[in-house]
Amino acid sequence: MTQTHDMIVRRQFGEQAAAYVESSVHAGGEDLDWIEQVAARARPAHALDLGTGGGHVAYRLARQAGRVTASDLAGEMVAAVLATAEGKGLANVAGEIAPAEALPFADAAFDLLACRFSAHHWRDFEAGLREARRVLASGAPALFVDVVAPERPSLDMHLQAVELLRDPSHVRDYRVSEWIAALGRAGFEIRDLRSLRLRMDFPSWTARMRTSELHVAAIRSLQSLASADVAGHFALEADGSFTIDTVAIEAI
Amino acid sequence: MSVDPDYLALLVCPISRTPLRLDAERNELISDAARLAYPIREGVPVLLVEAARPLAEQA
Repeated sequence: MTQTHDMIVRRQFGEQAAAYVESSVHAGGEDLDWIEQVAARARPAHALDLGTGGGHVAYRLARQAGRVTASDLAGEMVAAVLATAEGKGLANVAGEIAPAEALPFADAAFDLLACRFSAHHWRDFEAGLREARRVLASGAPALFVDVVAPERPSLDMHLQAVELLRDPSHVRDYRVSEWIAALGRAGFEIRDLRSLRLRMDFPSWTARMRTSELHVAAIRSLQSLASADVAGHFALEADGSFTIDTVAIEAI
Repeated sequence: MSVDPDYLALLVCPISRTPLRLDAERNELISDAARLAYPIREGVPVLLVEAARPLAEQA
């Protein structure tokens, strides 16, 4: 195996672009409403959707911002987002392909940044956060939403294991304590932090990533052997569906 | 598909962080500082070093 991490991400997501545009987990949610509320308050001239995926943040930001840039590592994702934006009549969305760790923008180019369900895929989490800080104007809001790992190691390990089996490009769902520390090191000051629980429907969760039968069986095996603590925390269901923790952070 | 020139003006080379110059004929964004040409594929600029074409050394 000689593929780089970025190549694996592009393969995983490039082939699944349409599934992410259509995914109900990604297309809706209180966190998206929250992002749009902050954008409505900030009325940014130029907002960045970092790790746009299916573009759901970009479409919301486009209603509140002068201009929106949708950035992602997977070209097929960006092309799908731009086509969808055009179909929605959103003429202020542009996009480019770049890794989060090396963004092709000048310092302070944006006055709002949103990054939803992306950071757990980054090869270098801290470098991505430093880049986010660099391209965002001083005092402008940065909104991060992601799946987070429980602080307890046994629960954390279960989550990372099933995530990696489902998606070989998975890097790490960070703990809230890791988010807080890393944001501080990157120069961000946290203004708001809220926790949400999100139910993952097992059949669509694995189908979206085209998880192999072998890996689906391995996830089911891990779940069947899980401790009562693990089963309780993740509210494991008979069909493999479970509930995860997410965090929504506003920082400046 | 063409790209909005105002948008292209916002992009910088991810290596040198200097402005990029559009080569409309080849549909590439040129970084004179890094001596790289970044492709534009289906209207989407690709700012990946591994996707860029190295430019010949200037005489």
